[in-house]
Amino acid sequence: MTDRYIELHTRSAFSFLEGACVPEDLIAAGHAFDMPAMALLDRDGVYGAPRFHLAAKKNDMKAHIGAELTVSGLKSKSFFNLPLLVQTRTGYQNLCRLITLMKLRVPKHAKPGECVISPEELAMYSPGLICLTGADDGPLANGNIEKGKQTAEWLVDVFGKGNVYAELQRHFNREEEARNQSVVEIARSLKLPLLATNGVCHAIAAQRQVADVFTCIKNHVRLETAGRLLAQNAERFLKAPGVMCRLFADLPEATANTVELSSRLKFTLEDLGYEFPKYPVPEGETMSSFLRKRTDEGARRCYTGQNGTPSYKKARKQIDRELALIEKLKLEGYFLIVWDIVQFCRRQNILIQGRGSAANSAVCYSLGITAVDPVGMELLFERFLSEGRGEWPDIDLDLPSGDQREQAIQYVYQRYGQLGAAMTANVITYRGRSAAREVGKALGFDEEIVGRLSSLVHTWEWKDPNDSTERQFREAGLDLREPRIKNFFQLYQAVQDLPRHLGQHSGGMVICQHQLDSVVPLEPAAMPGRVVVQWDKEDCADLGLIKVDLLGLGMMAVLEDSIKLIRDSYHEEVDLAHLPPDDELVYAALQKADTIGMFQVESRAQMSCLPRLRPKRFYDIVVQVAIIRPGPIVGNMVHPYLKRRQGREPVIYAHPELEPVLKRTLGVPLFQEQLLRMAMICADFTGGEAEELRRAFGFKRSEARMKEVEVKLRRGMENKGITGKTQDEIVKSIASFALYGFPESHAASFALIAYASAYLKCHYLAAFTAAILNNQPMGFYQPFTLIKDAQRHGLRVLPVDVTRSDWLCTIEEAEETGTTETGRDGYRGTGGNGLPVSLLAMRLGLRYVKGLSEVSGCAIELERKRKPFESIDDLHQRVPEVRKDELRKLAAVGALNFIQTNVQQTSACRPGETNKPQADLRSEIRNPRMGTHRRDALWQVERVARAAGPLFEALHERDANSPLAQMTVAERMSADFRGTGLTIGKHPVGTYRAELHKLGATRAVDIYEQKNGLAIRVAGWVIVRQRPGTAKGFMFLTLEDETGVANIIVTPQLFEKNRRALVDYPFLMIEGTLQNQDNVVSVKAKRIRPLSFKIAAAPSHDFH
Amino acid sequence: MFACIFTPATLDGMSLSEFAYSFSPLLEETSADTVVIDVDGCELLFGSAYELANEIARRAIQPPSTGGLGRKVNVALADNPDTAIHAAKFLKGISFICPGEEITGLGDLAIDSICFELVGLEEKNFQDVLETLKLWGIHTFKDFAALPLAGVSQRLGQAGVSLQLLASGKTERHLKLKQTPPVFTNSIEFDYPISELEPLSFILSRLLNQLCARLNAYALATNQLQVQMKLENGSSHDRTLNLPYAMRDHKVFLKLLLLDTEMHPPPTAIIALKLYCEPVKPRVTQNGLFIPLAPEPEKLELTLARLAKLLGEGNIGSPELLDTHRPDAFRIKRFTLRQLNKRVFRKSQPRVSASPLPPFSVLAFRMFRPPLRALVEAAKGYPTQVSAWSADRSVHGKIVQLAGPWRTTGDWWRADSWARDEWDIAVESRTEKRGTSYQPLQVLYRIYRELRSGTWFVEGVYD
Repeated sequence: MTDRYIELHTRSAFSFLEGACVPEDLIAAGHAFDMPAMALLDRDGVYGAPRFHLAAKKNDMKAHIGAELTVSGLKSKSFFNLPLLVQTRTGYQNLCRLITLMKLRVPKHAKPGECVISPEELAMYSPGLICLTGADDGPLANGNIEKGKQTAEWLVDVFGKGNVYAELQRHFNREEEARNQSVVEIARSLKLPLLATNGVCHAIAAQRQVADVFTCIKNHVRLETAGRLLAQNAERFLKAPGVMCRLFADLPEATANTVELSSRLKFTLEDLGYEFPKYPVPEGETMSSFLRKRTDEGARRCYTGQNGTPSYKKARKQIDRELALIEKLKLEGYFLIVWDIVQFCRRQNILIQGRGSAANSAVCYSLGITAVDPVGMELLFERFLSEGRGEWPDIDLDLPSGDQREQAIQYVYQRYGQLGAAMTANVITYRGRSAAREVGKALGFDEEIVGRLSSLVHTWEWKDPNDSTERQFREAGLDLREPRIKNFFQLYQAVQDLPRHLGQHSGGMVICQHQLDSVVPLEPAAMPGRVVVQWDKEDCADLGLIKVDLLGLGMMAVLEDSIKLIRDSYHEEVDLAHLPPDDELVYAALQKADTIGMFQVESRAQMSCLPRLRPKRFYDIVVQVAIIRPGPIVGNMVHPYLKRRQGREPVIYAHPELEPVLKRTLGVPLFQEQLLRMAMICADFTGGEAEELRRAFGFKRSEARMKEVEVKLRRGMENKGITGKTQDEIVKSIASFALYGFPESHAASFALIAYASAYLKCHYLAAFTAAILNNQPMGFYQPFTLIKDAQRHGLRVLPVDVTRSDWLCTIEEAEETGTTETGRDGYRGTGGNGLPVSLLAMRLGLRYVKGLSEVSGCAIELERKRKPFESIDDLHQRVPEVRKDELRKLAAVGALNFIQTNVQQTSACRPGETNKPQADLRSEIRNPRMGTHRRDALWQVERVARAAGPLFEALHERDANSPLAQMTVAERMSADFRGTGLTIGKHPVGTYRAELHKLGATRAVDIYEQKNGLAIRVAGWVIVRQRPGTAKGFMFLTLEDETGVANIIVTPQLFEKNRRALVDYPFLMIEGTLQNQDNVVSVKAKRIRPLSFKIAAAPSHDFH
Repeated sequence: MFACIFTPATLDGMSLSEFAYSFSPLLEETSADTVVIDVDGCELLFGSAYELANEIARRAIQPPSTGGLGRKVNVALADNPDTAIHAAKFLKGISFICPGEEITGLGDLAIDSICFELVGLEEKNFQDVLETLKLWGIHTFKDFAALPLAGVSQRLGQAGVSLQLLASGKTERHLKLKQTPPVFTNSIEFDYPISELEPLSFILSRLLNQLCARLNAYALATNQLQVQMKLENGSSHDRTLNLPYAMRDHKVFLKLLLLDTEMHPPPTAIIALKLYCEPVKPRVTQNGLFIPLAPEPEKLELTLARLAKLLGEGNIGSPELLDTHRPDAFRIKRFTLRQLNKRVFRKSQPRVSASPLPPFSVLAFRMFRPPLRALVEAAKGYPTQVSAWSADRSVHGKIVQLAGPWRTTGDWWRADSWARDEWDIAVESRTEKRGTSYQPLQVLYRIYRELRSGTWFVEGVYD
């Protein structure tokens, strides 16, 4: 190669709307030109640096890191962009600090010009950085030679002689060339080296269109009106060294200097200098000794050899092995820090449980980080940590979502300092509808067309293979031959997956020994008090930054809230760690798939599997959690397992040596650990190699790597004499499984929570229901379904009432004792203190009144606790936070029915009667549970909420009896749905039962008693719609009526014919054939008929 | 007694008001589809009120040519206009609501069909009231009327009371009588066809004089003058003069119309003429002491019209640069005086701060319009020789110096996207005598190459 040139000024799409390709594209283009190195200088950040670095590493290129920083002018209020290249690690640290400085002092969405670096700050953090003079937005942009010289001299002062390069770019532009001449003159006079760059914004010329569209999105204009905001030509693509050398043939030193400068840039991201913080240990202790002691203490507590737990001696062997490896990898600090977080949560009474592969570690179990015993369950430690992997372990901690998780996060910030810990970022990319909308707007389509275009983006997970783009566009009335539509389509595809903005990851935290801001720039998150790093979770992992995931799990919050409610209302103490392991009620409910609201086993797919799997012990729940996953489904593991379990198929093993590994799962591999062990047994892989195999087939699978590992696996198996069909079978099961399978440890952690949720639901239904309603939205079902299910199980649900309801749902002792109800499914009839369960009712909280703010709701709760409300007027006077519309909403849902109204007071005092003192009157007529009706309340609300004015203030309504008629049952139901999204009264479908009966519809509860193959009609409210990717176009509906739920299967053909009815109508009648296979009952639909019930139903949960 | 006539469909010929005027001059045009007339005193002409209603309905279905509407209408008679309106709008055919029987007649109407505009209520306020009424379970006029007035007043305020009176049919009001707006039209039919400008000018002058006198009487002016010429061959020749300022000077109008007619003569002789002007408020101007004197707008308009006649319509106005990188992109916009005083910069287009270029690059550039098509010889991608001719100029010679290419491409989303490379060249074309010897003469040109077609052009010369 004679032409020597290295591109040192490129921008990727991580410059957010100022670059039009991903870093990998740049590297690919550079690699095609045999460039040995390249530099990425994104705008005010190093967001794309990890991906750039990794892509370069794969292609044997050197990735120089840098950034274009916005710097405020020396004397004026203007600002310019200064390209900086990192020369040394110090330079990198300084660059990160500079970016952090500018980002953290302004809010996330600061205006241009607010987020800048001052010249003084630049001077402070200049060592190790090399400065280019930039292009049309750089410090020498104005072309004035005298001023330019002054600026250049200042840059030399800041960065040092030899560290400032006079940058020249040639994009065939007159003004630019004039500027270049000035820059050359300045450089000659100050003896600055010249440097040619191309100011690259996209890898190839064709991506200029994307760059133009991004310019429009950024400036909120259309292409037609963007004018000179758009690029003058398409020259900002990566050019071949030969082309660049010809362009700068008159200034050969400018291109030669790129090679010279590249050789000076020693830093790459390999040399990040990241250190995980050391855990402060007491004097005389090392981290190792301290960890050993804490682990030993825990192990002695956990491994007692009693109640089926392994003995301490047995566990110790495994623990010692793990500790040796942890010490070898110098990870003591990491384990101690996680232990410290867990300890903090315990102290604060916050439920916390480790999940994921960490549950394979006996050390984690002993330290109390995880709740699954890996020794007892014979889990494979290598899935968590292995020596050869060269990757940090990953510990995920589940916390109750909400405030308590925030408490834990803030503890980490407080312990390691704001600049020592931060959340990982989540890069939001252009996808689906957002991409369609923004591209459509830039192309100048009107709102209607933009809507049509974006609606073309499929929402269902399943995609019909015949559903070609042309067909979709044609059906939407759009012609792909029309140039604008064609442009849209091409651009829409081109912007897919390009970064759009930076979000915050749900829970990943990075912690650093020294200042984290010297490892990666930090910036504020949209949420107050949160700081995020500029890299996402994967980038952090790729660069070896250890993260701790503090994940919010709705069910953890439910469990925690349930425990509190049980303590307060049942006066019982529930310890989740010591629940009875073989509770009959729990297993009975699971076997019947009566699992609405239960963690991980409530979905439609889980419900259809439960009656066939019929869990009888805890391990069955572990299997149940893991089996309904794409891995086992795609790998065709589900049916063989179920058949073997039912004794319909013999238990056989692909190879006799696999029996010990697969015995527990009847010869069918269901967990990732089994995959690892299979490779270890069949092909003599080490633990590390087996994990490497899993990763090769895992999420980031690449064909080449998979092939490589497969060859190794097959060779290993051949050496052990496993050949032919057996070998193929094993390889196939490993390949299909690695991608989506669960680790056994993870499934076990989830199964623990699933069991706990089932136990609480079966034994403390009121508390569990209140807790799950207080943590909505979560799970698979809407509050309405949860309530109806609880009611069917015998729970009495009380309405929202300002005289009783708190903001959250609560438990009350019901006033009417009635008969002791045990619920139709045999749920426990008594609480722990002998109080019949039926005496405990659940009171709906004010949070369920739509449109009532939390401030108003809490104010009502607080004021009522101080003194009961005497009237609506009294409520209005004492709680000024409640607005008129809120009062109206409360009245409409009946929440004001039980306030003694002024109406009754004043009507008791007829003209001519002696006026008694008000207090006496109240006491005479007060019967707090004899409520008014909703319309009475509405009538009063309008009066009290309207300022009467000084003239009429004292005037009382002479006949204030409400002239309004009571709401009918249907009106009340509609008001309930509109006002709360649910009803505690009769099920809406139940009100039409007589009509449905005439139409021949069978009730949901009755279909379970019918024979397989029977022609049947069912009708109900669609509560769930699903069209999963693995179901080949089938749609699954869940219909609910007053007696329960019915599952419906819709074939792809029937779906196409009845798409509108199936997607849009809330109430449907289905005619079809009953399928009853091993107590799994569903209806295979043959005819769909929408029902026109006039009820304002809550929307269904649709899964896309 | 009041009669309301309602027809939901739009009418092609006669308007509903025009139709209603044939029954009573006391008319309120409530909306385009609803009119109310006061029928008191019409007995002598049409008989009883009921007979009148029948007559209205009968005549409405007659074709427009015979004074009808050509469609069915709803007619309602009631003691007050609002009741009549509600009845006509929501009860088909002929309705007669006796005094005191309003609630019987209207009681079953749905509450959301109440005509809230009649009591001057805004849509938003009405929706608020309606929401409350629905929450109260009030579904019909009858339900609403049954509520106690004081209770309604306390809860819904004056708006509620007014609406309740409407629903009860108890409102009392006078008709808002419609007054016909002044029409600024003047027309004439000739005894014999006119085919020359001179006789036309006399007639135009008279018509314009009358028109301007009417405008003057109403203290109005116009900025749009429409002329409709009915031609001998049965067709029509229509012209519209859009004026930048409101005027009412009949002499200026005459000159402008004559100039326009000269530029756009009708194909055949004229047999009838109709003038119409759009009335607007007159222009009020006050010259400032420090504002430079400018020609009177009327005179300027005349001058521009004369120039347009000479140069062609699209060739007069002010050039305006377009916000694009497209080379030589400009448009001619209508010349107005406002430009002289105000410099308007669009906010969305930040002013490009022209960087002070070194003095040697500041050159005047004279464009060839149209550009000269050229033959260019090139070596290694660089032009070496150029030849171009046109009737009045030629460019020919060896290129001795060049700079470029300067590349612009754009509008890639449109069919007329462009892509071109420009070069600034010094051409040594001929010699000129300097003193006793002949020196070669170098001229600076700009040439460009259309990248799609590969065609070369000479765009202009640097002065």
